[in-house]
Amino acid sequence: MIKLVIDGKTVEVAEGVTVLEAAGSVGIPIPHFCWHPALGKAGACRLCAVKMLDGPIKGVQMSCMLECQNGMVVSTTDPDALAMRRQVIEWLMINHPHDCPVCDEGGECLLQDFTIAGGHGLRRYTGKKRTYHNQYLGTQIQHEMNRCIQCYRCVRFYQEYAGGKDFGAMGSAGRVYYGRAEDGQLESPFSGNLVDICPTGVFTDKTARFRARYWDYDISPSICPHCSLGCNTLPAARYRELLKVMARRNDTINGWFICDRGRFSKASVNDQDRPRDPLVNGRRVGWDEAVDQLAARIKEIGKLYGRETLAIVGSSRLSMEAASLLHVLQGATGAGSLCYFVSEEEAVRTAAAISHLNEGTSASMADVQAAGLIAIVDCDLLQDGPMMALAVRQAWRKGARIFLVEEAAEEPQNLPFAWESVPSLADIPLQGAKRKVLVCGTGERAAGLVSQALANGAKLACLLDGPNSFGTALLAGDHESTPFARAVAEGKVKGLIAVETDIPPELLEGIPFIAALDWRNTDTVRAAHFVLPTTAWLEMDGTYINNEGRAQRFKKVMNAGLPIAGMNPATLHPPRQHIATAPGGDVRPAWKVVSDIVKRLGTKGAEPLSGKWERLREMDAEGNGLMVFPRVNDSGNDKEKGNGLQ
Amino acid sequence: MEQPLFRHNKPGRCVTFDEYRNEGGFQALAKGLKDFSPDQVQQAVIDSGMRGRGGAGFPTGRKWSFVPRNAPGPRWLICNCDEMEPGTYKDRVLLEANPYSLLEGMVLASYAIGVRHAFIFIRRGYEQAAVNLRRGIAECRQAGFLGENILGSGFSCDIDVHVSAGRYICGEETALINALEGRRANPRVKPPFPAIKGLWGGPTVVNNVESLANVPSIIENGPTWFNGLARTPEGAGMKLFCISGHVARTGCFELPLGMPLDEIIDNTCGGMRPGSRFKACLPGGASTPYFSAEHLPIQMDFDPVARAGSRLGTAGIVVFDQDTCMVAATLNLIRFFARESCGWCTPCREGLPYVLHLLEDIETGKGSEEYIAILREHIKLLNLSFCALAPGAMGPVEGLLNHFMDELREHIVKQKCPFGKGL
Repeated sequence: MIKLVIDGKTVEVAEGVTVLEAAGSVGIPIPHFCWHPALGKAGACRLCAVKMLDGPIKGVQMSCMLECQNGMVVSTTDPDALAMRRQVIEWLMINHPHDCPVCDEGGECLLQDFTIAGGHGLRRYTGKKRTYHNQYLGTQIQHEMNRCIQCYRCVRFYQEYAGGKDFGAMGSAGRVYYGRAEDGQLESPFSGNLVDICPTGVFTDKTARFRARYWDYDISPSICPHCSLGCNTLPAARYRELLKVMARRNDTINGWFICDRGRFSKASVNDQDRPRDPLVNGRRVGWDEAVDQLAARIKEIGKLYGRETLAIVGSSRLSMEAASLLHVLQGATGAGSLCYFVSEEEAVRTAAAISHLNEGTSASMADVQAAGLIAIVDCDLLQDGPMMALAVRQAWRKGARIFLVEEAAEEPQNLPFAWESVPSLADIPLQGAKRKVLVCGTGERAAGLVSQALANGAKLACLLDGPNSFGTALLAGDHESTPFARAVAEGKVKGLIAVETDIPPELLEGIPFIAALDWRNTDTVRAAHFVLPTTAWLEMDGTYINNEGRAQRFKKVMNAGLPIAGMNPATLHPPRQHIATAPGGDVRPAWKVVSDIVKRLGTKGAEPLSGKWERLREMDAEGNGLMVFPRVNDSGNDKEKGNGLQ
Repeated sequence: MEQPLFRHNKPGRCVTFDEYRNEGGFQALAKGLKDFSPDQVQQAVIDSGMRGRGGAGFPTGRKWSFVPRNAPGPRWLICNCDEMEPGTYKDRVLLEANPYSLLEGMVLASYAIGVRHAFIFIRRGYEQAAVNLRRGIAECRQAGFLGENILGSGFSCDIDVHVSAGRYICGEETALINALEGRRANPRVKPPFPAIKGLWGGPTVVNNVESLANVPSIIENGPTWFNGLARTPEGAGMKLFCISGHVARTGCFELPLGMPLDEIIDNTCGGMRPGSRFKACLPGGASTPYFSAEHLPIQMDFDPVARAGSRLGTAGIVVFDQDTCMVAATLNLIRFFARESCGWCTPCREGLPYVLHLLEDIETGKGSEEYIAILREHIKLLNLSFCALAPGAMGPVEGLLNHFMDELREHIVKQKCPFGKGL
């Protein structure tokens, strides 16, 4: 440990930590632009000046470039350091336009913050500001080069961190330009992070342009539902519309970044045609009536075909709260089939995948980043979990060997790292390698290799199908369940309660009673006799268990309701009558609807996350979640090991 | 007067390979490879006291000694021929007259450091020099002075010429290394210094053309001889001085280090131009603070010039006469530096254009007293830039404020250039 004094506080840090980080660790912020925890030091902006009062190095120094040494005495408030910081801000503001009122970054702009903090208020420079031509960077990112302060964060992220090749720094001196060789869509599947990482408004989210200020946002910590990795996000909404999604730092999972799919997939939430009202045979009814009629219909089906012909179907996109109530609904209805998966194949391979995972074998994305050897098998990383590809790239940058187990004839993948192609796991020098990880899908080829990799001491990073595949598979193992396709094939389904599940139309044919709880307009919803509209993940608190077995809490970001943008003002807005909920806002979390049905059927109401899931209730959305592994749970005896905060 | 570098020069043309060899060229190479161990070559250069001729004046032999002896993997020698310091053209003059001293010196340096492959990084504009070097390399290979098993010594080494797009910043050794690797010519973080981690991560020595070209004479005649060439006790060797501006005879001359400035102007250059009186000069290229008339007796060696508040730099002396507006001269230099900033760090990228703007305003009669304070802040704060470009660029501004404050103020008070120069 190294001991130094910063602003009179004694600070102890590990070797290699910079003065900037050391100060941050004791709550002393030092302004900086080019330094970024994920990108490291650059020494370009020169804003983080501090004065070294005593010790091995003296004078004004850049705190981001300086590793802590014993005996350093640092002042972050010395007049000499402040003079430099004020001057740096003046230099940057010479050319930065005063367009904050029309800039989307306004209110969440590091340059604004540090200009105010830096004490440069009056313009002394009398010359012209320089201007640039902006580029068309595609449909998602707006380019406004005039605002650039040349901190090099964007290009360091895009090229070095993410391996993008179509965007970079050009020109020199006062004409440094960040862009593409020519106008065009950015090619990197991580390009959206430019928006987050730019300290000012050069790159802004085009899809949310001119829609809201930072202080207008409905904003809460959330979890990305677009694959199984469980990246931490910060969605921002206003007027019942999801405007944009930002990455939320979690060093164990996604680090500082998210992929473009997670960031820009907003259409389904904001869809004007989402199910908004309970429907019985296409007729809008109130919730009470809908639940009453549904309960009656369930009883009727029981009388007509026998209660065992009912099927309850959930899916991997269902939150843990609702998924953990499905067996209660089964009990209340007497349904013969409890289905957590539609396809038998998905059910089997997901169950097989999670059966290998425990605290010793499950690799987080942080483990992948720190790996020394990575074998990839049976997955299309950029499709199945793009952020995993970024994690592998970080390991590769640090010198890890990457192997792709593939048959020779396979199409080359466009991955952001270099790899060696091998026909089998046996061709990889697993023995002797340190920190090895098998990154795999759940297909047959992966299944064959998993035990082999485990025997060689490798950890597993399995890419599953949905945001709660892990949890769904756990429940499927806990309760007697059948894949829905099999239940249909056996000809015993006459009634179906589908809870946020995508069922192919051919499986719905000939079922006389279909009830669908969903927030999406799926084939099941369209075919259903009862439609019970639910909230999207943004509109409620909930829990997903990600691919590594980590339960994570997401918080309600916004109130449900028809987005004002796109509404017909003549009919819907402003509301002509006084109602308690916003138009289209009378939707309920799936767990609540399930619970209501259960109560109406006369069974004692069920609370979400009860029984052995109770320990997930108090989870902190901003923490690291809780690890949940099958073996520990099977014992029914929660030991601390593997269940505590990781 | 001994002229280790220019003694082979032929009027109006480049010396031929045979001429160079017949005049005693490559003797040092033969001697070095046969009689000296690599460490002895390095020690001779250390003992000679030669300081690097590229501008910073760091002792050449000591720079070599920082390369770890037992580092695994290849190590590299790069000759820095990105000569772009305004007022400096010694490398061009040398290489257009004689590429062989450099090549001989590079093989000796490679031998001392253990380099198998050396590069000459040369700027685009130096086409003739590159032609000469390429021809010289082919001739040396043919004669066995380059390539496998040189002169039967068992030492093998090759040299490649890299013609760069060239920028002023490529003269900074880490930016040069980046450019050679095909990256943007931005300086790298130091430490690690190139001697530890340079080109492609290997130990690397970057030396100026003139430094390397002097190595053969040190090996041939011994460090004591070389050391004794200078006129100052602490100095060592001869130096190529480039003199331009308002003197009678401009040019590149090989003179002993420590020759007083007035002697150079009066004797070597034949005095000032008719009608001109000495007012000021840049003593060592564009990035050094001005000397004024009071500095004429200063001995032109690294330490005396530094003690007088400037730097010997590249020894590119630019002389100004009484009709020169020092604000305009400084403005011209700053315009160069603002353009040549690599754009990496804020002080250089934004601060130099700011200074340029202030000087433009002052020169065109729009300046105010406040500008002087801002210029002073910039002299101080541009020292906190990433590399030495911006502090160097502020050299002339510092000289302007230290020696020509009256002239600067006159611009502000009269709201015009007293020399009627304007822009």
